[in-house]
This record gives sequence, C-alpha cells and structure tokens, in this order.
Amino acid sequence: MTQSSSNHTRRALLKTLGIGSGAFAFSYFAGASAFAQQQPSAAKRLSPFTGPGANPYWNSVGPMATYPQKAPLVLLTDRPVQLETPRHYFLDPITPNDAFFIRWHLESIPNEVDLSSWRLRVEGNVNKPLELTFSDLLHKFKPATFAAVNQCSGNSRSRFGPRVAGGQWGNGAMGCARWTGVHFRELLDMAGVKSGSVQVQMQGLERGKGPKGMPSYEFKKSLDLSNPVLDECIVAYAMNGEPLPMLNGFPVRLIVPGYFATYWVKCLTDVRVLDKPDENFWMDPAYRVPDTPRGTTTPADVAAGKVKMIPIARMPVRSFIVSPDGATKIPAGLPVTVRGTSLSGFGSIAKVEFSDSARGGWREAKLGEDLGRYAFRIWECEWTPEKPGKYSLAVRATDEKGNVQPDEGVWNPGGYLWNKIERQEIVVGDAA
Amino acid sequence: MLLVLLTGICVLAVGAIYADLEIGYYTAENLGRLAQPAPLRLRPNGVYSVAAYPLYAPQLVPGTGRQDAAAYCKTCHTPSYITMQPPLPAAIWKVEVDKMGKVFGAQIPTDSQARILQYLDAHYTPKTRKR
Repeated sequence: MTQSSSNHTRRALLKTLGIGSGAFAFSYFAGASAFAQQQPSAAKRLSPFTGPGANPYWNSVGPMATYPQKAPLVLLTDRPVQLETPRHYFLDPITPNDAFFIRWHLESIPNEVDLSSWRLRVEGNVNKPLELTFSDLLHKFKPATFAAVNQCSGNSRSRFGPRVAGGQWGNGAMGCARWTGVHFRELLDMAGVKSGSVQVQMQGLERGKGPKGMPSYEFKKSLDLSNPVLDECIVAYAMNGEPLPMLNGFPVRLIVPGYFATYWVKCLTDVRVLDKPDENFWMDPAYRVPDTPRGTTTPADVAAGKVKMIPIARMPVRSFIVSPDGATKIPAGLPVTVRGTSLSGFGSIAKVEFSDSARGGWREAKLGEDLGRYAFRIWECEWTPEKPGKYSLAVRATDEKGNVQPDEGVWNPGGYLWNKIERQEIVVGDAA
Repeated sequence: MLLVLLTGICVLAVGAIYADLEIGYYTAENLGRLAQPAPLRLRPNGVYSVAAYPLYAPQLVPGTGRQDAAAYCKTCHTPSYITMQPPLPAAIWKVEVDKMGKVFGAQIPTDSQARILQYLDAHYTPKTRKR
C-alpha cells in the first residue's frame, strides 16, 4: 500500500467513525512497515568537512575525541593537536580546564615535565640572567589573579568567504579562565632590561620535526618592550585554581590579557630580551593582519601586493548566542531565556543587544556578573516566540571603547579577526 | 454493534494521545563512543606526566599519489591537516605544498611533490571532494 492510498483509507475511515484526525490512526491501521517509516532515522554524523561555502555550524564539524586531562572535545587535528570547546560550555563565564580548547603548532609537545630540573630562564639583553624554579615562582613573588579570555587568532576561520587554509575552527577556539601567576614585568625588572632593548621573546617546550632554524622546529613569539600590555601580563602557574593541564601549557604559560592567544606561549621556559626586532616566521609573515580598518582586505589586493601587514594584537569585540542552539524546536508561546557570552580585547563589555527577526530592532540584554575587563561577560534575554515559524536571533556587543560588532565579515589571508554579528535560526513549533 | 463502535472509539482515543510519541525505537547504527582514560599511577617526585596523546588520523581517499602524501606529509602532521580543510582550489593547494617545502623545510622530491598536488587536485578541490 502506498502512503497516499493509506492516508486516503485513513481519512475515509475516520470520516466514517466521525472522529478527528490523528497520526495514530494512520500507524494503527497501516501496519508495522508504515509505522516504521514514521520513526526518526538514527542520528546522522556530521560530514567531516564543510565548504567551499562557509561552515554553517556553531562549532567545527570534526568528531569528538578524548585526550589526557580533557573532556571530549571537537577534534580538528590529532598531531599537532587542535581541539575545540563545544558550544554549551560557554553558558558559564569560566571555561573548565578540561574543556578548554587546544591549539599547538608543532607535534613534539611534552607529556612529562620534571619540575626538579625545569627552570624558567630570563636572559638575553639583561643585566642579571635568571633561572627560576617552579617553587621560586610560587614563593618569591606576590601572586596575581584575574580572569581573561584566551582566543585563537583563527577562531571562526571556517566562516571566511572565500575559505582560507588553516585550522577550520568554528566559534569554540576560545575560553576564559582565572589565571594566577607572577607579574611578567617583575621578572623583567629583576633581570634588569638593558637599554637599547626592543622586544621580549617567549619560547616554550614545543618542538617540531623540522630542521633547526626552520619554523617547523620551534615556536617563538615576541612583544615590544614599549607595549603597555606587558604591565598586565603574568606568567601563570594556575588556571581556575588548579595546575594547568599539560595540553594547556603546564607548568606555566604567558597570559597576555586582551591579546589573541598566539602570544600566550605555553609550557614557557625562555624569556629573551632582544636588542633587535624578532623576525622569525611566527612573527613575520605568520600571525599578521592587514593594516586596514578591522584587518579586512580582498584576495585581489593581497595578490597585487597592495596590503601592508602588521602583527595581530587585540581581540575585536564579539558576542555569541549559546542557547537555544537551534537543535530542538521551541513551542510557540513558551517564554525562553536566550543566553550567551561576549568578549572584547579592548576592555569591558558595555552593552549586549539582542534581536529577533519577527520583532526586529535591538533591545538590551541583561549582563551577567562582571569578572573583569578581559573576561567573558555572559548575557541573557527573555524571548517569547508568539507564532510557529522560523526565527533568526541575533546578538551584538559594544565594548567600553565604543566598538560595536558590525554585520559584515572580514577577509584576510590568515583567517583572523572574525567578529561579525552572530545569528541563530530557531524553529518555533505549533503548540495548539 | 454500538458497544463495539464505542470500544473502537475508546481504543482510538487512547491511541491518539500517544500517537505523537515515538517510543522504544532503537537502531544498531551508532554515532561512536569514546573510551574513558584510566588514571596514571602517580609518585610524589618532581615528574609530572600525562598519558601518550592519542592519534585519530583519518584515512585519505584512495588514489594515485596517496602514498606520497601519506609518507611526506606525516613527518610533521597527520592527514587530519588535509581532511580538515575545506575543499580548496588547486592553486591554493599548490601554495600550501610549496610552503611545506620552502618555509617549513619539508624535503619532498620534485616528482613526489607533483604527485601530491595531482592527488590533492583529484580529491580535495571544490569540484572533486566527495568525502
């Protein structure tokens, strides 16, 4: 029996019986095979890639995978390891250590650190080179603690059009933790930076299989000594009140509040004061953005050699819808709390605004607790969808400097600085 | 006759309440499962360890040049660095493969480089990528 003829039979029968329609009648009379057809099929796996268009999903599309000290996270690559934090973790302004995203550049990363021989060296163009033990860091300095967002420069790279090669992150290459450690400036002062110094270089235990002298051998990053961010940096030995997970940089990593994660060197061992600018690959040409408003350009201008590139620095203002995530329908008339998070590398979040496609316009969302100017600021907004149908929810944030998220994306060859207004489609069902 | 009809309506009415529920439907298909790692045995010395980092390398699509791609690319990374990418035009793949040699120092013989590029063009561009 075909479906249409069984439906016809059902309608005729119901008419005869004089009662209302119901899916049950169809399945009851049409037999087991038709019943099976009505059932949901098994959940399907996401395709392992997206493109050539933009990734339409909030997270990247890899499978979930488990690594030592980590909850199941979205796997981008297994060696070097790149793992993305699933969306729901961002309901909380603090990201748990075991859910914090992972991004390494090179494949030889420590499984083991012996703190009896481990030292943090401060050297180079200094008066008195230092070799500090982990215990020195704990006991010889006044600890500083603050919450700060760590976000990969390439977070949301999979939104780019045209797509660019690189880690195809969704939105989850970010996290916010309470970091505890030693003021970086105090270490530099203790070592005594010589006059004529220009930059300070950081290097950790990360190594690669490439030949020495090549970027595939080691990862190094530098900051200008004149950069005021150095006064806010700490060398962190604790993350959310615990040792750092090995994959997040045990025993210490540099915290550069407001800056993209590329400077937050993990498993930090060497702090080198330089008397000339660092020109290693990871400073130039890697991690550079166009010297244009929002760091945006076009493939044509890049090909024509028209674009001046500068090192990536602070994170532009962003906000996200975390829940509802569009995976389930919402019954019409049910009041729901739309929740999400926001961040800016330029200071505190001043305002988060919410919009739904039925009502239009922007209305201010309620901000969650202020954990500090470089932390996630969660937000929420009550929303009652009145009628069944498709809705598009949108959110935009404004930071204390007045930067507002625009409704246009960016494009640059590295796939950096994405901060377009985020949207979430929601299907509202009939509740009658 | 009336009694039979009424009973029938009752059965239908009760049935109708549950009609929208889909209950007791299982499938042998699954989305995969993840093993929990066992804790390490720890000693109170200065060594802080975690277990070996697991590999989850995907299979590259079979085809001419796969051996070259697998052999040379895996020096520094697993094939996940290829499969993770969106479908990329051949010109972009060329830039990437060149970068591996010139910038990162991968020593890939010229003929293997050509086969790797042909392989990527044949399976990982917007026109050719199937999985």
